[in-house]
Amino acid sequence: MSLAATLLPVTILAPLGVAMLLIILARSLPPQVSTLIAVVAAAAVTAISFWLARQTMHGPVLHWLGGWTPAASGRPGVILGISLMADPASAAVAAFCGLIFVAAMIFAWGYFDEVHSHFEILMLLFLAGMVGFCFTHDLFDLFVWFELMSTVAFALTAYPLGRSSLEGAFNFTITNALASFMMLAAVGLLYARTGTLDFTQMNEDIGRQGSDPALVCGFCLLSAALLTKAAIAPFHMWLSDAHAVAPSPVSVVFSGVMVSVALFVLAKLISQIFSHGDATPLRFALLWLGAVTAAVGGLMAWSQRHLKRLLAFSTIAHMGIMLTGIATTTPTALAGFLLYIVGHGLIKGALFMIAGILLALRASGDEIMLYGKGRSLWPAGSAMAAGGLLLGGLPIGILHGATELIQTATTRAASLVILVATALTGAAVLRAAARIFLRWSGAPGLEFSAPTEREHEKGGRPLWLMLPPCLFMLALALIPGRSVDSFLAVATGWLAHPDSYHAITLPKPKLSAASFDSIALTFAILGLSLCRERATSAWARRLFRAEALPVDALQSLHSGLIGDYVVWMMLGLALLTGFFGLRQFGF
Amino acid sequence: MSILPWLISAYLFAVGIYGIATSRNYVHQIGCLSVCQSATYIFLLAIGYRWGSGPPIYYDHPPGTPAVDPVVQALVLTDIVVGAAVTALLLAIALQVHKRRGTLDPQKLRPLRPVP
Repeated sequence: MSLAATLLPVTILAPLGVAMLLIILARSLPPQVSTLIAVVAAAAVTAISFWLARQTMHGPVLHWLGGWTPAASGRPGVILGISLMADPASAAVAAFCGLIFVAAMIFAWGYFDEVHSHFEILMLLFLAGMVGFCFTHDLFDLFVWFELMSTVAFALTAYPLGRSSLEGAFNFTITNALASFMMLAAVGLLYARTGTLDFTQMNEDIGRQGSDPALVCGFCLLSAALLTKAAIAPFHMWLSDAHAVAPSPVSVVFSGVMVSVALFVLAKLISQIFSHGDATPLRFALLWLGAVTAAVGGLMAWSQRHLKRLLAFSTIAHMGIMLTGIATTTPTALAGFLLYIVGHGLIKGALFMIAGILLALRASGDEIMLYGKGRSLWPAGSAMAAGGLLLGGLPIGILHGATELIQTATTRAASLVILVATALTGAAVLRAAARIFLRWSGAPGLEFSAPTEREHEKGGRPLWLMLPPCLFMLALALIPGRSVDSFLAVATGWLAHPDSYHAITLPKPKLSAASFDSIALTFAILGLSLCRERATSAWARRLFRAEALPVDALQSLHSGLIGDYVVWMMLGLALLTGFFGLRQFGF
Repeated sequence: MSILPWLISAYLFAVGIYGIATSRNYVHQIGCLSVCQSATYIFLLAIGYRWGSGPPIYYDHPPGTPAVDPVVQALVLTDIVVGAAVTALLLAIALQVHKRRGTLDPQKLRPLRPVP
């Protein structure tokens, strides 16, 4: 076995093993030491995964657990073992997960000191689940990692045991537990039809027997489960509750990688298992879901005042944009999607850290209550402004490179939606930054009546300790996105066709007047909001009422009631199944 | 293969969802979630079942004796373990909510919303 194949399971075993070690030593180790051990473990995962990404550029590496290779079953065509597969894209995503975990744990230094390294243990288990989720090549194994990831995430959300965090965690747990049941049923259906759980063999079987209702159902259930995790409308309602109430280092991980990893796995499954047959209906469905999600997320982010809730809705909008990238099913858009995961994760992670800094040092996370209170925290303010500008489409950095790739590959209408969603989320972040750090403000508009709460996080942590991971992530996000084109082309090639590699050429980056569309729109929306005045005349009142109508309707849909969320999920599942079912019978 | 297990599974899932959607008590909702989960157990066991075959244990049977599919049974077993963990976690959350708020009615407990 090659060194790469030997090291592949270490990326999962290392965080699991260190977590076990920390459980044993929890009460005898000083908290700083256990944080340090956890950071080193996460950094090791990052380093190994990064190395694997470089090593696998000539071809994916398989590791058969326990030596149960296909030959070991003694019958040709029967696979009894479970395998892990590292291709450049999966390894890069796993390395990125590790990086975000390192940053989040350094950011949380001193936050969870009283609780005997339980935070570090949960984070390491979370990382192990996520890396396993990226590398697995077996459908049931995928479900197990999905469950591990979800269960740890539930516990981390409920961690502060505050009012909202318990209720948010409850909604999160119920919706995501339902998603995992859907996934389990899908695994069962696909196994019943193909008799295997291995990706490659399942793909061959599906190609041989063609489409069939059970397979369609299996696909719908599987994608509904992953779309729930990835917070795509109408499965997205849980996210704004969970991400807004989780401790901010945890939100960094949630928004930075957890949701986008689910979309990554969806893209991987589509190209590695469901690659046969006509992709038109799939393209149509995913494009619509993505566009609606981007629009809803952007509009909702714009009308929030609670910083973490604002960022949570902005994550939903960006998930929608990523899904439009997957829906295009061209290599260019897929490459854009991979780059987008990294760009978005870095910026969103950094912004959640700023929210955490404000919660710790200014004891509030509400842009109106924090009005002008951030003036002495100018380094954090400039970081937040930089994050907002990058999010709003400033034509430098990774995120812009990714958006450009997706937009060149998708339809005009979809790229218009992407433009508007990007601008709305960017303007929302900039508006909050202007209010908190510069005391610039118009009369509060739609955001005034949005849900919010008085809360704070453990203070006494100095700014110089919390800011470096945030600045580091922003600095990484400023790397020109297209400087990694050669790696990206190879990674996309292997992701799209793991058994028959095609070289891919990406379009050349070009800076034109159109590159500034998005940031111009961001500033226009921001300007409108900062110049806003109270409605004094009758027509202004009428205008404001008309403006509030769609947003109020959206706000009331996101009711915080678990019953509503579950009904929306089932509606989404019925829509997906109905659509693909009708296409199956030729309508 | 009889259609009965599929019907039972669909019915259980539907009533579980109905319960979660309409219930006014956290603990009741947790119970409903377990009902949904039972639907997936029956679904999986039905997939693996073969008429007239024994359990997949071969120590006193010659290899090649018809047996039900052990893979789905392993899936169910794994899911039962995870389900137990999730239910325990949910009940712990419900307990903490009750301690802090004195109610378990989801209408009165909404994240980030003021108490009505």
